[in-house]
Amino acid sequence: MATRRMTRSEQLQQTILYPLDWLEERSGLVGGVKYFLFRKVPGDINWFQTLGSATLTAFLVQATTGVILAMYYKPDPNSAYASIQNITNHVFAGWLVRGMHRWGASVFIILMFMHMGRVFLFGAYKYPRELNWIVGVLLLAMGLGEGFTGYLLPWDQTAYWATVVGININGTAPFLGPFLAQFLQGGTYINADTLSRFYSIHMLLIPGGIMALIGLHLYLVIRLGVTSPPWSKEAAGTGPLADASTNGAGPRSGLVNPRPRRSAR
Amino acid sequence: MASDRLVERRRVFQQYKADVKERGKPFYPYAMWHDTLMSFVVVGVIIGCAVVWKYTSLLGKLYDKPADPGTINFVPRPDWYFYFLFYLLRIFKWPNSVFLGTIGIPTICLLLLIAIPFLDVRFERRLLRRPVAVVAACLVVVSMGVLTYKGATAKEALGSELIAQVPHWAAKQGFTNNPQAIAGAKLFAVSGCLNCHTYLGSGGHNLGAPELTAEGAKNKGIDFQVRHLTCPSCVNPGSPMPSFAGLGPARLNQLAHFLEASKGGK
Repeated sequence: MATRRMTRSEQLQQTILYPLDWLEERSGLVGGVKYFLFRKVPGDINWFQTLGSATLTAFLVQATTGVILAMYYKPDPNSAYASIQNITNHVFAGWLVRGMHRWGASVFIILMFMHMGRVFLFGAYKYPRELNWIVGVLLLAMGLGEGFTGYLLPWDQTAYWATVVGININGTAPFLGPFLAQFLQGGTYINADTLSRFYSIHMLLIPGGIMALIGLHLYLVIRLGVTSPPWSKEAAGTGPLADASTNGAGPRSGLVNPRPRRSAR
Repeated sequence: MASDRLVERRRVFQQYKADVKERGKPFYPYAMWHDTLMSFVVVGVIIGCAVVWKYTSLLGKLYDKPADPGTINFVPRPDWYFYFLFYLLRIFKWPNSVFLGTIGIPTICLLLLIAIPFLDVRFERRLLRRPVAVVAACLVVVSMGVLTYKGATAKEALGSELIAQVPHWAAKQGFTNNPQAIAGAKLFAVSGCLNCHTYLGSGGHNLGAPELTAEGAKNKGIDFQVRHLTCPSCVNPGSPMPSFAGLGPARLNQLAHFLEASKGGK
C-alpha cells in the first residue's frame, strides 16, 4: 500500500517535472535559471542596489505600453495627431497606457541617472566591472535617444518645433552632423518621412539596441557579482579567507562578527 | 608597479568571490524580495503619474495643438530631462561658442563618463577616501539641477505682450515712418523670433541665438535677410535656426525691412 502510494506520487512528480527535464536536457536553461536565482550575493547589499532592477522594470513598462500604443498609433503626419487623440479619448484605458508611456519615460530616465549615481558612489565601476559601466553609459545615451525620438510622435506643436530645433542641433556636429540630421529627417528638411523615420528608430532600432545591451549588462552583473556597499564592515573582498575559519563558530560568523578591516588600498 | 597593481586587484577580486561564496546570501529570496518590492513601487509611481496627468493639470496638457509647419508662433521646448541641455545653449553665444553648447560639452561629458573607470583606477571605494570623486559628483548634481531648474523657469516671450512693444521699438530705432518695417516688427513680435533672439531687452536668449537690436547696423541687405530667413543653415552653415519660409515672400520681405531698419537704437 505504502509503496504503491510512493510510486504514484513519484510518477506524478515525474510527469510534472518531465517538461522541465526535457527543456533542461536540450538547453540547460533550467540550470541557468537556478544558477541565476540561487547564486550568492554579498550579505550586506543595500536598498540602493535595487535601482538597477527598478530601471529594468521601468524599461519593461515602456516596452509593454509601447507595444500597445503601436497597435493604435499611425506614424503619418496627417493622422498621427488624430490617432493620439483617439488613444487618449476613445480606446479603452488608452489614456492610462499613453500616460504610463509618457511618464514612464521620465521615470526610466530618472532611474537610469540614480542607478548610475549609485554605481559611481559605491565605486562599483572599478575593476573588473569597467566594461559594465561603459555598457551602462551607452544604455543611458540610448535611453535619452528614445526620449528625443519619442517626443516627436504626438505630432503636436511642442513636439514638432522641439524636434525641428533638435535636428538642427544634431546638424551642427562636425563631420557627421549634417549626415545625421539628414538621416534623422529623411531629407534636407523635416517632412512627412521624418515622422515614420523617428517612429522606426524609436520602436525598432533603439529598443533593439537597448534590449541587447541590457542582456549584456545583466550577463556581466551575474558573471562578476554585485559589490558590497563601500562602508560595510563585512564587505566581500576585504577579509582574507583564513579569518573566517579562525574567527569562530557557526556558518554565519562572517555576518555576525565583522572582521577588522584591512588597510585601504 | 603597474603589474603589482594588476596582481593585487586580481587577488582582491578572487577574495571577493571567495567571501561571497562563503558568507553571501542567495539572490532568491533575499535580494529578489527587495527588487520585487521596488519594482512595484516603480510601476505604482508610473500609474500614479498617468492618473495625475489625466485628471489634474499638474503635469500639463494631454496634448498641444496639432503640429503646423507653417505656424508663426512656437516654442522650441524639449522634454524636461533635456532642459539642462536646452539651458546650456542659452549660455553660449552665436556664432563663436554656440558649438560648445550644442555638441562640444555634451560630447565631452559623454566621453568623460565612459572614461571614468580608466581615470580612477584605485581600489578604494569608501567615499571619505575619494574626495575628488565626491566633489565631482556633487558638482555634477548641482549643475544639472541648476540648469534643469533654469531651463524649466526660463521665460517665454509671448507674442500678445510683445506686439505692444512695437511702437516703442519703432521710436527707439527710428523707423516710425517706414510701414514695411513696422509690419515686419509686428511679425517679428508674433512669429516666435523672441523665443530665441533678444531685441531691445525683450526675448529669451535660447539656443545661442544672437541679439538683433543692431542687426541692421551690419548692412547685410534685404536680399541677404530674406535668404537667411528662408534657409538659415544655407547661409550660416551649422545654424540651428529653423526655416521661416512658411511665412511667404511678402512677409519675409517685411521682416527683412524691419531687421535692416534696426540699427541699434539710442
